[in-house]
Amino acid sequence: MVASLSSVVPGLALLDRRLIIVTGKGGVGKSTIAAALALVAARRGKRVLVCEVNAQERIAPLLGGPPSGESTHEVLPGLHSLNVTPRAAMREYGIMVLRYRALYDAVFENRVVRFFLRAIPSLSELVMLGKVLHEVRLVEKGRPRWDLVVLDAPSTGHAVQLLRVPRVLLDTVPPGPLRRDAEWMQALLLDPALTTAALVTLPEEMPVNEAIELDEALRHLLEIPRGALVMNAMPTARFSREELARLDELRQAAPPLGPAAQAAHFQGVRVAQAEEHLSRARAAIDLPLLLVPWLARERWDRSALEDVADVLQSQLEMRPVSLAAKAAAREGS
Amino acid sequence: MGALEQALATQRVAVFVGSGGVGKTSLAAALALKRSMEGEKVLVCTIDPAKRLANALGLKSLGNLEARVPAEKFREAGLSPKGRLFAMMLDVKRTWDDLVARHAPDPVRRERIYRNRVYQQLSSALAGSQEYMAMEKLYELATERDYDLIVLDTPPTAHALDFLEAPGRILDFLGNETAQVLLAPALSAGKLGLRLFHLGSSYVAKTLARFTGAEVLTELAELMASFQGMYAGFKNRAAAVRALLAQPEVGFVVVSGATPASVKEALYFYDRLRSDFMPVAGLVVNRVTPELWPRAGSTPTDVELAEALAGHHLEGLGADLAARLARTLAEHETLARAEAAQVNRIVHSTQARVLAVPRLEREVHDLASLSRLAVCL
Repeated sequence: MVASLSSVVPGLALLDRRLIIVTGKGGVGKSTIAAALALVAARRGKRVLVCEVNAQERIAPLLGGPPSGESTHEVLPGLHSLNVTPRAAMREYGIMVLRYRALYDAVFENRVVRFFLRAIPSLSELVMLGKVLHEVRLVEKGRPRWDLVVLDAPSTGHAVQLLRVPRVLLDTVPPGPLRRDAEWMQALLLDPALTTAALVTLPEEMPVNEAIELDEALRHLLEIPRGALVMNAMPTARFSREELARLDELRQAAPPLGPAAQAAHFQGVRVAQAEEHLSRARAAIDLPLLLVPWLARERWDRSALEDVADVLQSQLEMRPVSLAAKAAAREGS
Repeated sequence: MGALEQALATQRVAVFVGSGGVGKTSLAAALALKRSMEGEKVLVCTIDPAKRLANALGLKSLGNLEARVPAEKFREAGLSPKGRLFAMMLDVKRTWDDLVARHAPDPVRRERIYRNRVYQQLSSALAGSQEYMAMEKLYELATERDYDLIVLDTPPTAHALDFLEAPGRILDFLGNETAQVLLAPALSAGKLGLRLFHLGSSYVAKTLARFTGAEVLTELAELMASFQGMYAGFKNRAAAVRALLAQPEVGFVVVSGATPASVKEALYFYDRLRSDFMPVAGLVVNRVTPELWPRAGSTPTDVELAEALAGHHLEGLGADLAARLARTLAEHETLARAEAAQVNRIVHSTQARVLAVPRLEREVHDLASLSRLAVCL
């Protein structure tokens, strides 16, 4: 059986950090989880920024808004989104370093210079990560601009590459402006009071394997504090073993029974496999768990996202999950 | 012969492309397995950093070398192949080093490049480096080995463009003429230990140095100097790689999941390949949920299922069994119909063969399950 939800959950402390890095294998639902976490924080009155990195924008559309583009854009009250691209981040960073917009435009919009910026190791990752971390540090009217920044990081390999950039630069770049930036970025990333990583995975073979590898990388290579394991799309057991055995005999029966028994069979198989992978993940990854049940949705839209946020919120607030009741209410309405 | 196998019947190289998490690696390995079962000598090559293929093939590490999948792995899976299956995982850094060694005029130059700090970061830091090296390695394998079929699994590109534009972008980096003009004084100095003033007293160089620090630029200038004279070799090679990919003996397979986001990405990839005159052998929609309810309209209600259950002596089971069955079937069909609509979208938006591979009951992570997946291809 699935471990009871009350055993180990991250609690609201997860949202009290200034930066949550959401990462995992491609296709596990990172953007959904990042958007849902941001939504929960916004519901709790926080000013939240959710950042994608050089992505085909998913988050703002998921939240029901138009794409946010390269500047911050308020999608919902208190919830902003941003798609960080190398070019825009580079420009912003360049202007900050050089202090004059005209100088940046004269020098850096030059084709030769753009070539150099691409050629210098990891510079585009540095400025993108720098942009995100800069938002974390941003102060406005004497208080932080954002209570929480959620980074929808790229998938495993690319995420490690992105998050490793400050360290790579510290190892290779001689003292100078690049190194100074790498230093403050690394300090922020490694500070457990400010930063936490949420590892998203699915209860399947490869996603769990990759989550375990990523967890290793976070602990030993990146040394970024980790806050939660998010098991996404976890199917809920609906039939007992005895029921499944009896229903198996009916799979060839005429409709409606045959198809129903077949659907139950598929569901039973999926649950059994998912539980196996969940326990494997929990055995290997020593982190508080957030469990997002599998939701049957024809369209993955704002209302689906609200459901995911409900589930996360109730777990973070340590309230019982009331999704079934909500679903029933929706069906009834 | 399955649809995908048919589409690739005459090809010597199959390149699997698509976004992350759609099962490219499993499909690539399954195709390779299938063709080796039928008697061919097949290689499957992956560049995925998460070592998924190694996992799927039950191998611990693949290195940058082709390794034959051991006979006992086949025996364990109850398979007796007529041919031979090889697997390898691309080591991007090693492939770069090999390429440099191939083109360097002498060992001194080669070592100077290996030692350069900008070069050392090149393999992991330069966007598209992984993709470029995948194509480079593919070319080497296709021209210097005697495989009947090479199956290339590509990195989970965030952007379809990365894969197709990588060689051009990196060649532009290595042979950038304007950069060479800017670096000319440094390049003509032709020695180690360049000083910044060799970069010229230009406004641009000075401002750049303020941005990055002078030493980084010096390292870069040194690298550019070391690459002088090697560029033509690199360029010819990349042109040959590109020409190989456009050959009829190559077939691209675009892999998609059955979700709207995945399909959107796959269609974008397909269009890009077509407009670049790359031969698309087919599209695979992977892990499609089968439709179970044979009729149009809504699935049966609790009451209908309760009536149907009545004759089957299931009294001992949970009281709300009919309701749970109704809900389970309804959810299943919701998903299956949404996915069928996505498959249709691909069929209507492309002229290539489209193959929908059903979601298997057991997950694909060893040879036995790969062979079950292979049946669907």
